[in-house]
Amino acid sequence: MTLLEVRDLCSGYGTLQVLFGVSLTVGEGEVVALMGSNGAGKTTTLRTVTGLLKAMSGTVSLDGVEVTGSAPEKLVAKGVVMVPEGRGMLRDLTVSENLALGAYVIDDKRQVAASLDKAFTTFPILYERREQKAGTLSGGQQQMLALGRALMASPRLMLVDEASMGLSPIMTERAFTLIADINRTAGVAVLIVEQNVLALDLANRAYVLEKGQVVATAEGADVRQMQARLREAYLGTVDA
Amino acid sequence: MLGEIVVGLAIGSAYSLLAVAVVLVYSGTGVLSLAMGEIGAFSLYAGLYAHDHGIFGWQPGVFVAGLLAVAGGGVLGLVVERFVMRPLVGRPALDGLVATLAVALFLALTELYLYGLDPFAAPSPVGAGTIEVGGAVLTATELVLFGLAAAVALGLYLFLTRTKFGLATRATTSDPVVARLLGVKVNRVYVFAWGVGGLLSGAAAALLAPINGSLTPFSLTTALLSALAGAVIGGLDSLGGAILGSMLVGVVTGVVGSRFDPAMSAGVVFVAVLATLMIRPRGLFGSPRAAT
Amino acid sequence: MQRPESRHAGAGVLLVGALLAPLALNLPQTSIIVTALCFGLVALGLDVLIGSTGQLSMAHGALYGVGVFTALGLGSRGAPWPMAFAAAIVLSAVVAVIVGLPSLRIRGLQVAIASLAFQLFAQQLPNTYSQVKSAGRTFERPGFLVDETHLYYFGVACTVLVLVLLNRLRSTRGGRSLLAVRDVEARAAAFGIDTGRTKLFAYGVSGAVAGLGGALFALQQASVSDLQPFILRESLLLVAVVVIGGARSAVGILFAAFLLKGLPGLLGTDGNVAFLGDVSQWLPPALALLLVVSVVLQPAGIGGVLRDLNIRLTPKGERLPPRPQPTDAALATARARMLRDVPRPLKERLPVPALLVADQVSVRYGGVTALDALNLEIRRSEIVGLIGANGAGKSTFFNAVSGLAPTTGVIRYRDRDLLLSPPSSRSARGLARTFQEMGLVRSETVRENILLAQTWMADYPMAAGLLALGGSVGTERELRRRADQALELFGLQHLAGERLGDLPYGTMRIVEIASAVASGPDLLLLDEASAGLTPDEAHALGDRFKALRDELGLTLVVIEHHVPLIAATCDYCYCLESGALIAEGTPAEVTAQPRVIESFLGRGTLQPETLRPEEVLA
Repeated sequence: MTLLEVRDLCSGYGTLQVLFGVSLTVGEGEVVALMGSNGAGKTTTLRTVTGLLKAMSGTVSLDGVEVTGSAPEKLVAKGVVMVPEGRGMLRDLTVSENLALGAYVIDDKRQVAASLDKAFTTFPILYERREQKAGTLSGGQQQMLALGRALMASPRLMLVDEASMGLSPIMTERAFTLIADINRTAGVAVLIVEQNVLALDLANRAYVLEKGQVVATAEGADVRQMQARLREAYLGTVDA
Repeated sequence: MLGEIVVGLAIGSAYSLLAVAVVLVYSGTGVLSLAMGEIGAFSLYAGLYAHDHGIFGWQPGVFVAGLLAVAGGGVLGLVVERFVMRPLVGRPALDGLVATLAVALFLALTELYLYGLDPFAAPSPVGAGTIEVGGAVLTATELVLFGLAAAVALGLYLFLTRTKFGLATRATTSDPVVARLLGVKVNRVYVFAWGVGGLLSGAAAALLAPINGSLTPFSLTTALLSALAGAVIGGLDSLGGAILGSMLVGVVTGVVGSRFDPAMSAGVVFVAVLATLMIRPRGLFGSPRAAT
Repeated sequence: MQRPESRHAGAGVLLVGALLAPLALNLPQTSIIVTALCFGLVALGLDVLIGSTGQLSMAHGALYGVGVFTALGLGSRGAPWPMAFAAAIVLSAVVAVIVGLPSLRIRGLQVAIASLAFQLFAQQLPNTYSQVKSAGRTFERPGFLVDETHLYYFGVACTVLVLVLLNRLRSTRGGRSLLAVRDVEARAAAFGIDTGRTKLFAYGVSGAVAGLGGALFALQQASVSDLQPFILRESLLLVAVVVIGGARSAVGILFAAFLLKGLPGLLGTDGNVAFLGDVSQWLPPALALLLVVSVVLQPAGIGGVLRDLNIRLTPKGERLPPRPQPTDAALATARARMLRDVPRPLKERLPVPALLVADQVSVRYGGVTALDALNLEIRRSEIVGLIGANGAGKSTFFNAVSGLAPTTGVIRYRDRDLLLSPPSSRSARGLARTFQEMGLVRSETVRENILLAQTWMADYPMAAGLLALGGSVGTERELRRRADQALELFGLQHLAGERLGDLPYGTMRIVEIASAVASGPDLLLLDEASAGLTPDEAHALGDRFKALRDELGLTLVVIEHHVPLIAATCDYCYCLESGALIAEGTPAEVTAQPRVIESFLGRGTLQPETLRPEEVLA
């Protein structure tokens, strides 16, 4: 069943239009990758979907109900969380406080305690550093905290913006593995926005964004072919 | 000397209420509000006018007039938040400062228009009683100020560190966009900060005016500036630092002001602010962020 | 765009009006206008800070007072009026600089609070120390100013002088530096601007103008006992006048000052008009309300309204495409050669094999290491590519080189450690750079921005520019010529007068590159040079890079995401990952290395079953 449906989305900043009719869907329990290079409009897509940015036209629907332009805090309550680019640390707050805020929309205290427990067993390093300010963590640890914090809200859909940013290939790989794990064990659907083509390893479906438009789509086995093509395009020595 | 220190501490307590109002709004919304003095003064004017002349055939006593100032301050804070500050969300910090300056100017000039330049008699809402403690004579106003300042400091500390909404307030300070993505309704944080800030402003006005002897337009803004100076010295985003700093400024004002002259005490405060900003811009207890 | 002719025409009309005004006014009314003019002068001074430098001072009421009491103190004790005026101007400037000192350490809000603390202090002085007020003595006017109308003309002359000087400021080094501090403070050092000195200069100019207003007021009043004009309220009203009048709009500000201080008095000796009531009573709160509204709705004040009107009334000419035009190769080469001619000591120009060597260079922010003991070498007259995934530390390396990041290690440029010299000195040594998110001033024209990048070559003192002294006129003429050459080199000459912010993103990027080339560098650091360009434009840009290398012997370091462009233009290439160097060589060698492929594309295939989350923490 379709969880998130984006249809003909146009958006931008002021008079500068960045997205020109982007459409995509994320089904329940699916991992979908939105690939694209710098400036293709990936982050703009996520910002518009979450309501941080106002759509110029087009719709965003959740469970078939239109939610275009609704505030991000409302989407969290509906089970959609975003892991922002640069990991969105609340730098002056401690690791524990960051995690606690991840469960801000959950009122059931027992559930929150259980989630916290789970986050700490999944990421022992976060437990070790629970009283430390988030800003003092290393890049990899911050990525752990960002994912752990997102899980605190028991989401149905996670929007992950460039998890690989600033991480070494090994850390990137581990972050992706973790995302795959989260998807597999918790059944959380993931929309992963990336320029690293490794992300396609996780994806059930993928879109390629270029200059604000979806220029390619692949599903199932075709995702592999897309990955191969993108690899060539990235490092090709001829103008792609 | 002891008497001067007591008066200084009382003035410092009133300043600390204003400083807390400023820090609360600053940490909640990132806006340095210059309106926090005049908001209280404006509603105190209304309360005192009702006390002196009555409104709709009702003439409240001094205590109720004081409560009116507190409540009025809260309401005015909410009005300013909704109609002036909310549209400014996302604009540069200096715009917010100028907007609150404009509000202060508007309120003070309206007071001038409505009530004239002659000082308004400001009787203490808690009466003129005194009590002697260890050789120093304390007025009821001073006593209430001490108690209120302490209670507000403690209450706010517990609120910010122990409650979920307090945590949300701090998250909003740290990064409003991330806070929203985590489900925090940041507008509520803004409303709360301005509402409570307004209440504190009203309380500070109602208790400081009797110590000053009267109420005039801009007098509470002038007091606010002393509180701000204290907040800068102590650390603009540190509640404890701001309280300590404004207490310090209060004592300097009380002691140096009466031993020497008001120019001397204002000069000491100016030099202290200048020195703090040059040597340790974040203030004594502020975080590095306070220095931007 | 506003044409200069129309601005001059407007100023002319205003001046004629100002000169004729006394014919329609009686003496008390003329006197009121002079008072308003004094206030307007102080507001013009304040605008140098608010409008041009982005600094908020709330002490200008007090600075006004410094001017008044200095002039009064000297004038009433028999000093000739020019001396009293000079002293008032100088002392106000000095005090303003002191009030501005905190701006060296911090930005924005707290500087404003320091100014408030000064206001509180200064307004106590005349109350406490009565000798400040020069009680009983008066400042006698010189013979030619005894008549109130003459004083009025004298005031108008002072104002015109201030306007001319401030206008000169705008078109010289000082004014451009102010705007850079206002809009791109963190990056201004890359233009060779010492931001601290620039701010203090702004405070000084602002205080001097306020002091002149004060001296004029002292001369008019002869003696001052009422302290109302200098208290906190007036400081706040001055900010209001600047905001309502419109930042950087002298006409708007003077009009707003007239509205507040002149109009109520003119409408009747006691300010009473039949159907309006007592204007002097309700006008101040009404203006304050206008201020609230104007801040919330964000119009650019009266000045902004005038500008809009001007644009609407100006006939629209044929619009040229806001894109670079193709340039003739021979012409471009000629222009490029001329740009190479910069006033740099010979020892800074002699060829060295390794222009820049980074030795164990690290940058840390909090817990995150952005650059980790990086070693690399940039050889002369090469185009060097810097590649790596997002967040690999490429821009951080540029920031380290240009002094905008907390850096440890050694960066040797021409065999001297760059980190030992202040960031603002680096453009004079031949370093120029562009920024990922444009480092120019969008409110100004393309030409002004090129001039901004050449700041290090404007070697006259900022104050000399103001007064057209110290060779500033000749230097500016030369810099303008260079700027036009740089524009021609990049096919931008038809856009010289356009406001930068009105151009498409890709064109702005080219303007930024042109500005960096105009500063006559040896080493050019370009961050994401081809972002926002069409494929054709990116291709043309690659050719331009080669021309800069071949014709000028420039050395270029290019951060670029588009690997094919790197392959086509670069002589050498470094690949970063997590702040460390993982590969170097020719572009073909580098992109063939498994480490690099991994860095961009990952190690191959994920096997989720083989990795447990716990391992992530290893």
